[in-house]
Amino acid sequence: MGAGREVSISLDGVRDKNVMQLKKLNTALFPVRYNDKYYADALASGDFTKLAYYSDICVGAIACRLEKKEGGAVRVYIMTLGVLAPYRGLGIGTRLLNHVLDLCSKQNISEVYLHVQTNNEDAINFYKKFGFGITDTIQNYYTNITPPHCYVLTKFIAQTKK
Amino acid sequence: MGASLPPKEANLFKLIVKSYETKQYKKGLKAADAILKKFPDHGETLSMKGLTLNCMDRKSEAYELVRLGLKNDLKSHVCWHVYGLLYRSDREYREAIKCYRNALKIDPDNIEILRDLSLLQAQMRDLTGFVETRQQLLTLKPNHRMNWIGFTVAHHLNSNASKAVEILEAYEGTLEDDYPPDNERCEHGEMLLYKISLLEECGSLERALEELHKKGSKIVDKLAYKEQEVSLLVKLGRLEEAAELYRVLLAMNPDNYRYYEGLQKCVGLYSENGRYSADEIDKLDGLYKSLGQQYTWSSAVKRIPLDFLQGDKFYEAADNYIRPLLTKGVPSLFSDLSPLYDHAGKLHFAVMIQADILEKLILELEHSIRLTGRYPRRTDKEPPSTLMWTLFFLAQHYDRRRQYEIALTKIDEAIEHTPTVIDLYSVKSRILKHAGDLAAASALADEARCMDLADRYINSECVKRMLQADQVVLAEKTALLFTKDGDQHNNLHDMQCMWYELASGESYFRQGDLGRALKKFLAVEKHYADITEDQFDFHSYCLRKMTLRAYVAMLKFQDRLHSNAYFHKAAAGAIRCYIKLHDSPSKLATEEDDEMSKLLPSQKKKKRQKLKRAEARAKREAEVKNEESSASGVSKSGKRHVKPADPDPNGEKLLQVEDPLLEATKYLKLLQKNSSDSLETHLLSFEVNMRKQKILLALQAVKQLLRLDAENPDSHRCLIRFFHKVGSMTAPVMDTEKLIWRVLEAERPSISELHEKSLIEANKFFLEKHKDSLMHRAAVAEMQYVLEPNKKSDAIKLIEDSANNLVPVNGALGPVKGWKLKDCIAVHKLLETALTDHDAASRWKVRCVDYFPYSTYFEGKCSSAMPNSVYNQIGKNHENGSASLPGGGKIADSVASNGKLEAFKELTI
Repeated sequence: MGAGREVSISLDGVRDKNVMQLKKLNTALFPVRYNDKYYADALASGDFTKLAYYSDICVGAIACRLEKKEGGAVRVYIMTLGVLAPYRGLGIGTRLLNHVLDLCSKQNISEVYLHVQTNNEDAINFYKKFGFGITDTIQNYYTNITPPHCYVLTKFIAQTKK
Repeated sequence: MGASLPPKEANLFKLIVKSYETKQYKKGLKAADAILKKFPDHGETLSMKGLTLNCMDRKSEAYELVRLGLKNDLKSHVCWHVYGLLYRSDREYREAIKCYRNALKIDPDNIEILRDLSLLQAQMRDLTGFVETRQQLLTLKPNHRMNWIGFTVAHHLNSNASKAVEILEAYEGTLEDDYPPDNERCEHGEMLLYKISLLEECGSLERALEELHKKGSKIVDKLAYKEQEVSLLVKLGRLEEAAELYRVLLAMNPDNYRYYEGLQKCVGLYSENGRYSADEIDKLDGLYKSLGQQYTWSSAVKRIPLDFLQGDKFYEAADNYIRPLLTKGVPSLFSDLSPLYDHAGKLHFAVMIQADILEKLILELEHSIRLTGRYPRRTDKEPPSTLMWTLFFLAQHYDRRRQYEIALTKIDEAIEHTPTVIDLYSVKSRILKHAGDLAAASALADEARCMDLADRYINSECVKRMLQADQVVLAEKTALLFTKDGDQHNNLHDMQCMWYELASGESYFRQGDLGRALKKFLAVEKHYADITEDQFDFHSYCLRKMTLRAYVAMLKFQDRLHSNAYFHKAAAGAIRCYIKLHDSPSKLATEEDDEMSKLLPSQKKKKRQKLKRAEARAKREAEVKNEESSASGVSKSGKRHVKPADPDPNGEKLLQVEDPLLEATKYLKLLQKNSSDSLETHLLSFEVNMRKQKILLALQAVKQLLRLDAENPDSHRCLIRFFHKVGSMTAPVMDTEKLIWRVLEAERPSISELHEKSLIEANKFFLEKHKDSLMHRAAVAEMQYVLEPNKKSDAIKLIEDSANNLVPVNGALGPVKGWKLKDCIAVHKLLETALTDHDAASRWKVRCVDYFPYSTYFEGKCSSAMPNSVYNQIGKNHENGSASLPGGGKIADSVASNGKLEAFKELTI
């Protein structure tokens, strides 16, 4: 025991048996109560939704929705990404986001996007580090929080040749 | 067999026997019918046909045919043997033994029958018979290993270990020098170990050790060899060698507590009650420090010193023990340390007790982590989870010390910190249960369950909480989530899930549903009968496989099976049901009685007979139906055995017993035989026998209670009630009554509690002795009212004058009141029912609300009994039995707010 001790971080999928973990996280992390469709989409996205475990404690999650674009291509919408406050700054969010980005390149998905409240600078800076850029602004996107506006952040991933 | 038949039929008869053995019942049946066509009265054929039908689930026909066959050929051992087999298949072993004995009278050397008989004798513990039969078998076939072993075990069970050794040695004499062959080394080794354990048992320790060393190379189980050797060395007083051997064993498994205990004994540092002198503690400390350096990976070597160290040394050791475990996140840490909380009272007042030291220690850790993120005097940063595990530990600590408010504050903070850890919710549920809010505890347990629907343990814990909160329907649904066929309730019964049946029975009992309660309690009783039954197969199996030590241990376990706690609970529960049934017979029964009482005696008799006939008919019909359904079940799905539907799912028939007290007595006898040192056994015996007017048996119960614990309030109650009742009886008329009278007169002076005292004086004396204890005061008050009904107000004053004193605690966060919730509830019920003073009961309740703010019983201000409680909604939902079961999207919306269960603001994206 002591400094430099490696605490293992691992990812696990979301299933109907443990979906409550995701709900617990969301309740603690976001001022929004997600509806059943959110959870159905998350479960349907398969490996694109993951829980992060810090020495066997579930402390964070990324939840995505797979969307069909016109023409049949698939893009990924990150519905939520969050880590419990005491466990931030340990690379868990990075690990989760990288997982999704890696998966995208493996599956030749070229577009990942998300919404973020316009005043959430920490989040915007975080995503910019991974190559996301602001592609749109939607006025009055939220109904219950201020400011109600949001940015759309998008990352385009270069297609790897087969 | 079939000797009286012509050759063709004799061959057919052989075919029947062969078909029976190979389970080709239809073929056997055909052959039997062919013989019977020509010889319709042939006894052995009739018997075999019956036996064949028995295996095809046609029981009533089977018995008819077997009996007819026997009648036609009383001199046939086959017929008797078959009759015995039939009884055996129905577990009627005593009858079966009789049949086998009759068969052996005709054919005394029939090996097969002798073997079957010996199994039954082992099962029934007819030990002298078992020895005889085994001897006969050995005489008939001395070249069979199994017969030697069987004879040995028979003598051993019959408490003749030295004879058993002689037999084994005689057997060894028949073996070649190069025995055993490679494929029998394990069996032979087991036999040798068994022999050595027999030598040990009959006290021939030197010989046992000698034998062990001599045969060492042939014993395959090296660990058992060493454990046997060390046991012998200790018994021989060769402690230095034994200590050395214990160290060898510890090197093999440094987490085996028994090895440490043994080593301590060898070096003269062991005390039964865990008390040691300062000098001994120093020596022990040294011993474990050196062991700890050898076995760095052992957790036992770090944990054991906490049991004997004190003061600063305890503090230091506990600190070293706890820190890494909090860092790692070991949810069971508190249970690991909880025995230390019982150490209170062992020590002088001047010394801080272990629990206080632990509190101080953990609070220091908490403070330091909060402030700096580090443990005190450390430079390494702790992971974020350490704070949560520390709070988790503290919550359990305060729960244990009955400081529920602080416990809840701590656990809530932990949940706020990391809302995804399931154990936090389970512990919060437990705290609420202890604090007296069972509905909220159940809701929390359900919240924990929803967080991992694949975990049977959490599911079971939730079911238990639901049953404690009397939400039986919901509990059943939840329990079924983890049974094989989700809809089949029987499955829980088949799994012998006794904790469930007991908790469910208790809940039904609380709710006054005696039928269902009895059903559950009797189901547990049935499991114990099944467990007894289960040993049957091992009588032959173990002898063959030579697992003799395990076999004998299993038989000894079976002999005291009914002293098991679950059986005790079930029997006590059933007895309580029967007592209640006796005190207030069910409506159904009384109505029937009314109807009956209007009739003339002759009409009554007729009616009873009619009822009996109708019942018998119904029973026969049901049986036939079952046979039909199972017969068709067999043909359709092959092997699958279709269970008959339970004819009495709600236990209504159980309520219709003629004499509930007679039923109660059955179970009471089992308790008296197997749990004679339990107070409850004799309390129940007292209640039953007082109701049955069995004066002397009630006196026996009182004497047993005084023997076990004369200072117990309930013992006192029984004593006073008994002599009060006896005193109010009319003078004896009958001879038997006079006899009882004389016994009582002779016995009373021998009871020291009543020596030269009136009952009123004895009651006062008891009060003087225990005037600071609430429960004792309550008992005295109740008895005072029984003895002097005109002094009721005095009795009530006695209770109301009780003071809830503070228990001295050195803790930093304030003292604890001495009264327990359970006791205060009992006193409230006493005021309401026994003393029938509603006003006093109300005053009592008002007083208790302050002490127990979480208690639903007293409608405490923080409990879910209050209309504004956050748990309220959930409690109501549960009453309607609407479980939040998985599968739908509606997974417990109400519990989505991380342990707070408050209405959450509706927000959408």
